[in-house]
Amino acid sequence: MSPLVKKRLFFSLQFILALAVTLIMMFPIYWMFITSVKSQQEVLQAVPTLWPSQFHFENFSVVMKAAPFGLYTKNTIIMTVGIMVLQLVIGIFAAYGFAKGSFWGRDKMFLLVLGAMMVPHQAIFIPLYLIVAKLKWIDTFAGLIIPNAVSAYAIFLLRQTFKSINDNYLEAGRIDGIGRIGLIFKILVPMCKPTVITLTIITFINGWNQYFWPLIVTNKETVRPITLGLAKLKRAYAGLEVQNFNEIMAGSVLAILPIVILFIALQKYVVKGVANASLK
Amino acid sequence: MEKENQLSPAVSKQANKRLTNYRKAEKFKDFLCVAPSLLFLFVLTYYPVFNSFYISLTDWNLLKSTKHFKGFDNYKWLFAGTGWDTFKDSIRVTFEYTFLEVLIAIVIGILLAALFNNMSKSFSIMRSIVFMPHYIAMSTGAVIFTWILNTDFGILNIFLEKLGFAKIEWLNSSKNALFAIVMLTGWKAVGYTMMIFLSGIRGIPVDYYEAASLDGAGLFKQFTSITLPLLSPTTLFIFVTTFIDSMKVFQSVEVMTNGGPLNATKVIVYWIYELGFVDYKTGRASAVVVLFFLFLLLFTALTMRVTNKNVHYEG
Repeated sequence: MSPLVKKRLFFSLQFILALAVTLIMMFPIYWMFITSVKSQQEVLQAVPTLWPSQFHFENFSVVMKAAPFGLYTKNTIIMTVGIMVLQLVIGIFAAYGFAKGSFWGRDKMFLLVLGAMMVPHQAIFIPLYLIVAKLKWIDTFAGLIIPNAVSAYAIFLLRQTFKSINDNYLEAGRIDGIGRIGLIFKILVPMCKPTVITLTIITFINGWNQYFWPLIVTNKETVRPITLGLAKLKRAYAGLEVQNFNEIMAGSVLAILPIVILFIALQKYVVKGVANASLK
Repeated sequence: MEKENQLSPAVSKQANKRLTNYRKAEKFKDFLCVAPSLLFLFVLTYYPVFNSFYISLTDWNLLKSTKHFKGFDNYKWLFAGTGWDTFKDSIRVTFEYTFLEVLIAIVIGILLAALFNNMSKSFSIMRSIVFMPHYIAMSTGAVIFTWILNTDFGILNIFLEKLGFAKIEWLNSSKNALFAIVMLTGWKAVGYTMMIFLSGIRGIPVDYYEAASLDGAGLFKQFTSITLPLLSPTTLFIFVTTFIDSMKVFQSVEVMTNGGPLNATKVIVYWIYELGFVDYKTGRASAVVVLFFLFLLLFTALTMRVTNKNVHYEG
């Protein structure tokens, strides 16, 4: 065999194997989408069909009636955007202070941020719940958002990136008479755009997928995010003799769709960001 | 600075004072930038850590407003009788889960990284698809997997039957439920670890492989004697992060099995949640929280010692 043939053969083999793995990994998501448009009978057929014989888009309207998915989605958006904005704004200011500012005990204070990164959410949720309860924030967006307002990880990642920017740029800005806020948002943030974009995406997706904390601080539908709404819907169906998997999957599609779209649109940043963040 | 000497002493003194004041004000403004984050971290992270410890010393029940100081009663309960039985089991279940999850994240992660290590466009698209489950909410994933793993109508069992196997009770049997959860969380994890391993592989100089192939080393030999050893820092990183994350597993358990059947999936965090917010034994829940937190702290401190170079204080 000539080396070229060998190389091509190897590539084909690698490609086929990789394709097989990709299909297996994609299958659960595909199966969710396909089930969501099948009829009840087709879902429970002994020989499952990989493509629906008829599309039943009414599953979506049925599930929208069974649970207020519109409201859940709205709640999730409010919660996610709130968390994202606070984490970024507070994080950017803090990262500037820790990376470029000068004040007494700066690096010692930064150790507190690093220490907070080690505290698992589960180790503090009971006292946190008490604080939120005392403030009468149970079943409010404040209760969902404020306890997530600061991300030590975001501060850490932004600080590392800000540190890599030469101080001369800031000096030049100062000489031009730009104030502190201007320095941060006109010089530092634009120069660190990739990190800021990645962090925005990661914060958004994490916010969207929150479960544990909302489970604890919400009892009412009015503020419940979609992750909880979906789990509740699944439980409501679980008691029934015949489970309406097509409708549960329609609900799952509604919960997943924004993230899937966001992921496909921004996958270049998401993928790069993860690789970079882990190596920092 | 030398020019200052030419000014009259009074003017120079005044100028110095203004400069000092200006610098002080600047420093204060810099501090103001970090103040909100520190305030939030104190109120929302550091205070609760200490408060958890205090609550663990009381007999508090979430529904009552009274609490009494009881010393180490909750801890005594944890280490004797029924408390110990559940505690022991939940530690065992958590470690079983963590072991499986870490194994899958590392072994399959490395294999996928080796398989998908190709710069062509088609591979880049396939990589993104493999990576996507990482960003799908655990609760949604759990709902999808509950359907796939359904005993009678789930596609996995139907497929297994076609191959001549018997139906498997995935979620309703205490033997398989934990493994069913690992299937979901493993599905979500391997794309992520593949990406991390891949960036590790890309960091290995090509010369090593060229030299090895000149020496006649085959692909398998190159993989075991160059790729694997040089990936050990990445492997350690994956090990530590996956270990800590797996110890905290909760969502998948809550949605798929509720800790059952027969406590087979009652991991530590699920038990804490159940003690605190289902049984309202806040004091007991906090005692478990404190022990759990101390364990994670110890683990992190130990791994930091081992991997001193991964600490980034100096920036």
